[in-house]
Amino acid sequence: MGEPVLVTGLGIVTPFNPDGDRERFWASLCAGEAAVGAIRSFDASAYPCRVAAEVDREALYAGRATADPALRMAERAFERALDDAGLARGRGMPRRAGIILGTVLGGTASGERYLRARAQGAPGATETLVQYPLRAAAHALAERAGFSGPVLTVSTACASGTDAIGLAYRRIASGAADMLVAGGVDALCELSFSGFCALRALTTDRVRPFSRNRTGLALGEGAAFLVLERERAAKQRGATPLGRIAGYATRSDAFHLTAPHRDGRGLAAAVKAVLADGAVGPAQIDYVSAHGTGTPYNDRMETLALKAALGACAARVPISSVKGALGHAFGAAGAIEAAVCLLAIRDGVVPPTANLEEPDPECDLDFVPGGARRVAVRTALTVSAGFGGQNAALVIRGCP
Amino acid sequence: MAGPIRILGVGSAGAPDARPAEAEARAGRLRAVLTGLSADGVPARLIHGIEELAILAAHEALRRAGVPMPYRGDDLGVLLGVEEGIDGIKARYYRAILADGPLGASPLTFPLTTPNTIAARISILFDLRGETLTLGGGNVAGAQALGLALRALRDGQTAMALAGGATCVEEEFLEAASLVGSSEPGSPGGGACLFLLGRSGPVGAAAGGQVLGYGEGFGPDGVHAAVRACLEDAAVSPSAIGAARTAAVSDWPSAARAIRAVGIHADIARSPSSGLCSASFPLAVAEAVGQAARGPRVPVLVVGSDCLAGAAAAVVQGAS
Repeated sequence: MGEPVLVTGLGIVTPFNPDGDRERFWASLCAGEAAVGAIRSFDASAYPCRVAAEVDREALYAGRATADPALRMAERAFERALDDAGLARGRGMPRRAGIILGTVLGGTASGERYLRARAQGAPGATETLVQYPLRAAAHALAERAGFSGPVLTVSTACASGTDAIGLAYRRIASGAADMLVAGGVDALCELSFSGFCALRALTTDRVRPFSRNRTGLALGEGAAFLVLERERAAKQRGATPLGRIAGYATRSDAFHLTAPHRDGRGLAAAVKAVLADGAVGPAQIDYVSAHGTGTPYNDRMETLALKAALGACAARVPISSVKGALGHAFGAAGAIEAAVCLLAIRDGVVPPTANLEEPDPECDLDFVPGGARRVAVRTALTVSAGFGGQNAALVIRGCP
Repeated sequence: MAGPIRILGVGSAGAPDARPAEAEARAGRLRAVLTGLSADGVPARLIHGIEELAILAAHEALRRAGVPMPYRGDDLGVLLGVEEGIDGIKARYYRAILADGPLGASPLTFPLTTPNTIAARISILFDLRGETLTLGGGNVAGAQALGLALRALRDGQTAMALAGGATCVEEEFLEAASLVGSSEPGSPGGGACLFLLGRSGPVGAAAGGQVLGYGEGFGPDGVHAAVRACLEDAAVSPSAIGAARTAAVSDWPSAARAIRAVGIHADIARSPSSGLCSASFPLAVAEAVGQAARGPRVPVLVVGSDCLAGAAAAVVQGAS
């Protein structure tokens, strides 16, 4: 690949920080807080599971209640990212600027509103339909920022955010674009919640990644965007980089629609490929942000995959999952976890795996139980896996 | 790195024909494909028509290229545009929840409400372990998939890529499209078209033409920008374009004007597949390659646009 690709801006919205205050997000995560609680955005009383990690709607909307929740989260994270990069209101915007957005659900919450209205005999508001398509958020953000392209929407299940950042990294590195905002967004909705309930994948209390007594995942929501630029251009305009994307790979399990390959075949292949792409050896990895959903299959598979790909180094590297704290934010998860890596590099601190009190003997790596830990992180690896056997990985490094 | 990419194989499938004999023949072909891919002789159970279309198209593309099935390699992936193809599934799934509460949620149907399931189904059935990506770019989703494949191949990220689009345009989508004022929502139906692309193919693969270049554009001048970027990428001058063809476009007269404004004077034909949204661009490319193979060996431009996702263009050439 060509010139280094720097991250010059970061915007993030999670249940910890509906207003996009990045430092509050980071402080809450490192303090071991958990945002999983009773569902408020729809009536979940008929379901056996009634918990999720939600972004407070009142704080999120701040008077703009007609917008789709995913679009609103994306808008806020996008604005924060551009502001952080010193590109707010189009100042200094490069010519070939665009967005690559990862999402699983798009504006499904708006689609639900429309169908609910129709079921009750009402015509249904057309503005809810405009916000429904998968590509609606990317279009709205690109139009608002005056981007000329590329404008892409990637949907690779729960690896969407990671793939979006990876594809943007490739385009910037190859010189095909000058600046790209890349990340992911998804909002909790009944459609996905009911499906995960039907698959019996949801916990009814707490998410306990890598624990012996883990009982499943909790759904979450949020948005995160990174601003990516080539090093020379970033330096020319005086941008302050948070780090750089140094490698990307994506591989398929080719195994099952909803279950991961039992040995983590695809994830191991993705990790091996990302190390090769980033010209990084396993010994150089200082931190791994795990997918760590808290389901029995995922956490065991992920442990095996990391052992297969990192060899003996897997046993000494700190690995943590933020899903005990934030639930699983679908298409946003990978982008949020990339942000975690950047902040870990910045501060030399890795967040804990919340609720990991009783380690599973089959998940016998250092999954950072208890509290946050001081670690000099120069190089981080983040991994994502999703329905359909999607596996994606990024290598993120600090700037010298 | 620029340069042409070879079309090693192409496959397409249309919605089931109303005539019983043809529908039965297609069902038989699908059964044979699924049985042949099964390790235990029990064919995989598909849930929805869009899966059937995509599987048939993928099988044809791989068969024509002489790729062994199942493949069992991670140097061949799937890049697929689907967006609106699952809207009908999602709408029916959610209506069942509205009607029956949690009991209405089918664990069998739920995975199909996730856009990447169609690409995943292809990767699982044919054991393709490479880069598998799903694009949601509406009318240009299939074009974006082809563009990503082109880049991945040129950059050496993969040896081969199965790329294209699949759709199932159902009443739910058409109703919604008409309400939001989509100018070319199409009619109920479905289609899939997939290309097996490679820098070099398996021994014996018959090259079915080449993709010379690809470009994208966004905003009011999206089509113009996409065509210019595409010609630049292909290193082809406007005067060398021998024919042009539009896939689904959000505004045909404007698209035609934008193509002319670049300096292309060749005839502009409208693809008969333009109502097939995510599949329309790959189908138009297949038509263009076929057209180029029958006539003089000249580059053909294919253009598509979407009211939300911008525009895309590709230059292709038939086999010599």
